[in-house]
Amino acid sequence: MDQPTLKVENLETGYGEVQILWGIDLEVPPGNLTTILGANGAGKTTLLRAITGILPVWKGKVTFHGEDITHLSPHHRASLGLVMIPEGRMIFPEMTVLENLEMGAFTKRARAGLKENMEYALSLFPRLKERLEQKAGTMSGGEQQMLAIARGLMADPRVLIFDEPSLGLAPKLVIEVFETIQKLKEEGVTMLLVEQNVHLSLALTDYAYVLAEGKVVMEGTGEELEESEEVKKAYLGA
Amino acid sequence: MLSAWLGAVLSGILLGLLYGLAAIGLNLIWGVMNVINLSHGAFIALGMFSSYFMAKYLHLSPFIGVFLVLAMGVILGMVTYFVSLHKIISAPELSTLLATYSVSLVIIGLGTFIFTTNPRAIDIALGSVSVGGTVLPTTRILTGIFSVIFTLWLYYFLYKTWSGKAIRAVSMNRDAAELMGVNTTMALALAFGIGVALAMTAGALAATIFPFTILSGGGYELKSFVICVLGGLGSPLGALLGGLILGLIENLVTLKIATSYVPFLEFAILVFILIVKPTGLLARR
Repeated sequence: MDQPTLKVENLETGYGEVQILWGIDLEVPPGNLTTILGANGAGKTTLLRAITGILPVWKGKVTFHGEDITHLSPHHRASLGLVMIPEGRMIFPEMTVLENLEMGAFTKRARAGLKENMEYALSLFPRLKERLEQKAGTMSGGEQQMLAIARGLMADPRVLIFDEPSLGLAPKLVIEVFETIQKLKEEGVTMLLVEQNVHLSLALTDYAYVLAEGKVVMEGTGEELEESEEVKKAYLGA
Repeated sequence: MLSAWLGAVLSGILLGLLYGLAAIGLNLIWGVMNVINLSHGAFIALGMFSSYFMAKYLHLSPFIGVFLVLAMGVILGMVTYFVSLHKIISAPELSTLLATYSVSLVIIGLGTFIFTTNPRAIDIALGSVSVGGTVLPTTRILTGIFSVIFTLWLYYFLYKTWSGKAIRAVSMNRDAAELMGVNTTMALALAFGIGVALAMTAGALAATIFPFTILSGGGYELKSFVICVLGGLGSPLGALLGGLILGLIENLVTLKIATSYVPFLEFAILVFILIVKPTGLLARR
């Protein structure tokens, strides 16, 4: 079996005195789409913050392509190709669309492929191409999400992490975001997805973990979890 | 009479450009880091002394030495960032305000001890230029030109270089910049370094026009606050424009009223703008 792209072992962390995660184990194999599900407050965002390094880890280990990155700073992890598209998009509002995309390719690794990645990102999102000189903050929420994804692709990711990409989007745009994720999956991009939209993500995902109260309570392939009575009860309203 | 007005307008513009440059450093640090740099005036005074000593002991023209002052300022500012601000950069604004105030006290205190408060002046004679019947000292003209050059340089740096874009990204969203691979600690340190360097540069240029002491930065610091409010935060050109307005007002009203009323007028303007348009006269946001 291939070495997993990203591996989290027995991870514990929290904010101040409050422990949120209680020993998380998960793996993201290369070329796969891995999903993390869970209700609000289950610790999904906290887990991503620990994986990207924004939040220090108390205990446990994060490895990326076999390298221990548990104590690396977020920008250092980004330079290795661990790229997150953050919740709430976090685009740079006073910069143009073009500048936002360039910022995506800030790391040395990514700068080398700036031109090709720019062409690729703009071919995925032709609407951005018409707006390269527009201030990013003046675009609609849906366009900003497209920009956030495109900016993530500019980083030449070895793993692309999505934090709630469909949050706050109209249904039509949610479908569009998932179509993009599917396209990326077909091209073999390794992805880790945190989503509220259980139906759509389980339909696409290779493997999923269900988080509750800071622990992994269930895991399995997309189909397995979709069949599961517990998941149905908790999320699918059945 | 007409030439008096012309003279006032011309020297108002030249002086205004210098005021603008003095304000840009404060503007940059405020806009990027949300830090109100109360050591701004002290660094302006340090710039004056740097230029003075370079002229006196190295026989370096202040208009060449100013580039050295710029480089020294970046380093000095970055060191100051790590010593006094790094640990508290995420703390509430009062902490960083007090930290920069302490830096100011240290510089002014040591400066008073070492240099005393006797006024000094750079011995520079470059003659004067006659424009439409008014005579302008060459140093003033050069000071205005250099102020524009440094402002354009900052503009180029912020909008055309990777480091500059990183600083702008950090000013908009620090977490997102970090996730894009920007070392945000170094970006903040560099922003503070450049802010301090521009303050010192303005001081170095001002020292070619006026006599000064270690306390002379205070006046420029106060003017810089007025200019930041006039020009709004975040735009180097806005600051330059704010400086021009202030320089013109100063030079035109002193044709009719005594110079000692100028600070009163400046702060009347500050209070007026804060009441009418608190985001700044030319601010976009």
